[in-house]
Amino acid sequence: MSPDLVHLGPLEVVAAAALILLNGALSVWLGLGLGKKLGIASIRTVVQLLLLGYLLVPVFKWGSPWLVVGIGVLMTALATREVVGRIDRTVRGMRIASFFAMLVGCAGAALYGVLVVVQVHPWWTPQYLVPLVGMVLGNALNGLSIGLDRTLALLDEQRGRVEGLLALGATWWEASREVAAEALRLAMVPILNSMSAVGLVTIPGMMTGQILAGSPPEQAARYQIIILFLIAGAVATGSVLAVLWVVRAVFDDQHRLRSERIRRRG
Amino acid sequence: MRFEARGLARSVEGRTLFRELDLSVEEGRVLAVAGPSGAGKTQLLRVLAWLAPPDAGEVSLDGRGPSDWGVTTWRTRVTLVSQAVPDYPGTPRDLGDVVRRLAAQAGRDGPDPIALAEAWGLPAEAWDQRWVKLSGGERQRAALAIAVSRRPDLLLLDEPTSACDPKSTAAIEAALSGRAAVWVTHDEDQEARVAHDVLRLGR
Repeated sequence: MSPDLVHLGPLEVVAAAALILLNGALSVWLGLGLGKKLGIASIRTVVQLLLLGYLLVPVFKWGSPWLVVGIGVLMTALATREVVGRIDRTVRGMRIASFFAMLVGCAGAALYGVLVVVQVHPWWTPQYLVPLVGMVLGNALNGLSIGLDRTLALLDEQRGRVEGLLALGATWWEASREVAAEALRLAMVPILNSMSAVGLVTIPGMMTGQILAGSPPEQAARYQIIILFLIAGAVATGSVLAVLWVVRAVFDDQHRLRSERIRRRG
Repeated sequence: MRFEARGLARSVEGRTLFRELDLSVEEGRVLAVAGPSGAGKTQLLRVLAWLAPPDAGEVSLDGRGPSDWGVTTWRTRVTLVSQAVPDYPGTPRDLGDVVRRLAAQAGRDGPDPIALAEAWGLPAEAWDQRWVKLSGGERQRAALAIAVSRRPDLLLLDEPTSACDPKSTAAIEAALSGRAAVWVTHDEDQEARVAHDVLRLGR
């Protein structure tokens, strides 16, 4: 039988925060200048997770499909903000396009997960859907930001190549296919790396949590496998949609590369 | 073949490069474009190739504009060869293969680019070397040979021999004689040798 879950109070969290102080000391000693960022990130971790914890209590208790779907959309919007914020080039409309790419990729994978794979009843059971959406979004966020960043950087830096092909009669897609492929390859790298290292080097948080909560490890492993496959599907779908959209957005309807549409930030 | 541009205007970042510009090129004739750096010669070629939008004006080939031909077909017929050949992936042979497979290039196979460039002093081995390993002059000749091998009606040449030695330059000029071209050059001697008409752009 598994041991009882250890109850955590504020003191335990403070004890863990001592390790952050270690980071802070390191930053001061080596002059890394990370003190402020570290402070903000730590405070965000505490505030965001505690809020989430309290928010999920009523959601799990009185969850209605509308509430769960609303939370999913809100999470997608927040994830989109992160995606766009991480990229130093931008194109008009990229934010809204990324939002829809994330929504299609992540909602698609999450719904497939609860409806087809795990077959939860009802499908919107928040204990399943909300964490699932969160995990899928977190990974898709990485994939999209890498994919979009690379696409815009390559189209900007390798303008000569792309225009060289256009000049020889290539369509916008023929001229940019290599760029899109390269960006998508890179977007998939993190999830492929996690899938390769999982179990050997890393024990994923969800599986750890399930084991700590007393699930049989073999059940926890199955859940984790399913989750990773759903994540891979979401990253692929979301990144493809976002990358294709942004590639199309920097060409006009005359197969011209309009690099002035790529704006640099900062 | 008759190529025409009427009333072309283009400004970049608020600076007018040219406006109300007319030009025409007939079969077999070369229009040289001369002018100081920054006069808009390259931009003019980009507009003619429909790679950059003009602020005003229109271009036509045998009375039909880029949209009538289809933009990609237009560029197979009115083909720009840039002065600085970009770092394409792979080798010139790879680029030749990619170009041959473009939808708009179907059925346009012409002379073998490797043989063409060999006459300009580019050894056949160069076609299997990576672009980044080739010199500026070697790249120019490979890129030009690929463009010529697609049998465009009009070549838009931006300083096509700027990195070539006199011998290759003479061979290229000889090979291109009789082909319709808009030819940007800084070199007044070259202008005198190749041009039937001259368009001068000022700043």
